[in-house]
Amino acid sequence: MRRVVVLVLVAFVLSFASATLVMAGSVLDEIKSSEKIICLVNPNSPGFSTPDSKGVFQGFNTDFCRMAGAAILGDAGKADIRGIGFSDSMKTLVARKAHMASRSITNTGTRDADPGLAFVVTTFYDGQGFMVANDLGVKSATELNGATVCAEEGSTTLLNIADWFGNRKMTYKVENIGDKTARLQAFYAGKCDVLASDYTALLSDRQLAPNPAGYSILPEIISNEPLTLVAQPDQDLEAILFWGFQVMLTAEKYGITSQNVDSIVKDLSNQPKSVKRLLGEKSAVGDMAEKLQIPSGWAYNIIKQVGNYGEVFERHLGENTAFKLERKGTPNDLSSRGGLMYAYPIR
Amino acid sequence: MGWLANKEKRSFAIQLSLALILIAVSYIIVQNVRENLSAVGIRVDFGFLSGEAGFDVNESLIAYSAADSYGRVLLVGLLNTLELSVLCIFGSTLVGVVMGIVRAGNNWLGSRLALAYVELFRNLPKLLILLAVFVVMVNQLPVVRHAWDLSGGIYISNRAMYFPVLIWADGMSFLLLGILAWVPAVFFWGRYVSRHQDLTGKRLPVAWPVAGSFLFIVFFVSVLFGIPYQFSIPVLERFDFVGGGRLSVQFVALAVTLSIYHGGQITELVRGGIQSVSASQIEAANALGLRQGQITRLVLLPQALRMIIPPMGNQYLNLVKNTSIGLAIGYSDLVSVMSTSINQTFRPIELMSITMMTYLAISLVVTALLNWFNARTRIIGN
Repeated sequence: MRRVVVLVLVAFVLSFASATLVMAGSVLDEIKSSEKIICLVNPNSPGFSTPDSKGVFQGFNTDFCRMAGAAILGDAGKADIRGIGFSDSMKTLVARKAHMASRSITNTGTRDADPGLAFVVTTFYDGQGFMVANDLGVKSATELNGATVCAEEGSTTLLNIADWFGNRKMTYKVENIGDKTARLQAFYAGKCDVLASDYTALLSDRQLAPNPAGYSILPEIISNEPLTLVAQPDQDLEAILFWGFQVMLTAEKYGITSQNVDSIVKDLSNQPKSVKRLLGEKSAVGDMAEKLQIPSGWAYNIIKQVGNYGEVFERHLGENTAFKLERKGTPNDLSSRGGLMYAYPIR
Repeated sequence: MGWLANKEKRSFAIQLSLALILIAVSYIIVQNVRENLSAVGIRVDFGFLSGEAGFDVNESLIAYSAADSYGRVLLVGLLNTLELSVLCIFGSTLVGVVMGIVRAGNNWLGSRLALAYVELFRNLPKLLILLAVFVVMVNQLPVVRHAWDLSGGIYISNRAMYFPVLIWADGMSFLLLGILAWVPAVFFWGRYVSRHQDLTGKRLPVAWPVAGSFLFIVFFVSVLFGIPYQFSIPVLERFDFVGGGRLSVQFVALAVTLSIYHGGQITELVRGGIQSVSASQIEAANALGLRQGQITRLVLLPQALRMIIPPMGNQYLNLVKNTSIGLAIGYSDLVSVMSTSINQTFRPIELMSITMMTYLAISLVVTALLNWFNARTRIIGN
């Protein structure tokens, strides 16, 4: 008898829990009313997202969270940036417990086809590579027949290495370790011969080695990895993220930076039309703001608070950082300089 | 409403209405979930299970390659989970029973050490213990090129332990058949010996007929079918040992962690069971002149077991579920392959429900076995 009562109670609780699913309104409305945008990043990826001494996440990827905060709420600081593992971040988005993710997620066909995820815009073009200890004496990935490869549990890395070794009829063993500390420990202690990951992630992981100089990245890049911003499906939110990114590219194209944007706005009447459209009151940007119902100065806010794409890149990954990542001539350069970063027209 | 005064009728009416409510509520739940899922465009479809998984796992009890299906990789994960669970159930029981006896015993030092062990391991999170064990093993054991050579083809490195394995030959299936026939024969001989002892008081030999018959079967079948006993011995090549068998460091780390962690909890169950046996029983056994080992085996454990076995079921169920922390250090258990499959297929609902059902089935089997064992010990105890 008592058991029946308990069962009924449990059933009631469950039915209310599932009923809350129906209430999901517009994601953008939720962001505005809660005054924060929940953005998922990698908890420890130097250059892309690491907590600073105050516990605030800093890095290339986190700046796109801040971009969304600046565009929607007028304040980059209102981005609620949370560090979370790869697999869990996807599940969190599908379960609608976060608004967006900026954590080097590769856009693939099956992922994009999922109704719970919206892949918005590629912020970084990467490719998968291999890192080895120098004393292994390996100069090319083609010498790796029989090697043991450490890779992140659950990632596309696992599929790429299976394809790559399989196509070359080479054998290998995989150590698909979920915990990042355990994975890097396993690699740096020699449990694995090779660490496979995105090229830039390898650069970042190498900084965590006891002696970074003792490791090198092999020349082969075995896959295309367009690392893309992911949002909870919502037409308005997707549009804001996409065009927010275009603002950052356009600003770089016309040489507008967080430093000089104020003086450009003061002197707006002498600027080219394209700059007026980006920063003027009654402009294309103002029209968009009205339709998307976001602050009219959203483009200015992004440039002032976050910076243009080139600034963000140089700030976290460029010449003056530990990574010294070359941008010139890579897909991440502007299209005018031979890259794939192509600013869409804001008009 | 006179019938309300009748206790039986009233009780029946309440139960009936509750049952109706229950049916109605579950119908609403199912409908609600289905509508919500279709509202966000999610279709539940298990067809992907036959698709190519495309990723490799680090260990497997059955043949598996990246070209096999998702269904197969889930089976690989399930077998890995079961392998680890069975080993850890034996490991933790052994650790727990030994430490429990020491803990409840009269040796002051032993009892304190067992207490320290229990308090240490039941107050630490198991994932932390696992990561610590893993990191220590990976850092302290030598890399594969400088593996410790324990002679006889056994090597230990921070990647795995390598050992020789017998190569399967044609006649070996007959050898297995012979051994399968030998096991019941030994069983019947044992029963015959005890019946003979009851009737005549004389004890017939057990050890040498058992060992002798085993050796005879092995020798006879080997000669008859000309079985070549050849071993595959691990040999170090460019990157790794090739040939032989291997036991990965993550498997050992998991087995050690879970055996010690749950061993600590079983220690307390065993101590409780032993202390529930009345002290006069031990005094009586002492008075009869039984030795310490005999007292433990014949008086203490049979009575303590009745108290120990029911809570033991909880431990085993927890243990089976706790094997899923293997994902953190790269052991391809069911949850680990499920997680990778979800990331590739984006079918969390299907994959999670398969995994939940599987764990539920395992747990029900474990529970059934324990209930059966519990019933047996109860009869013996009475």
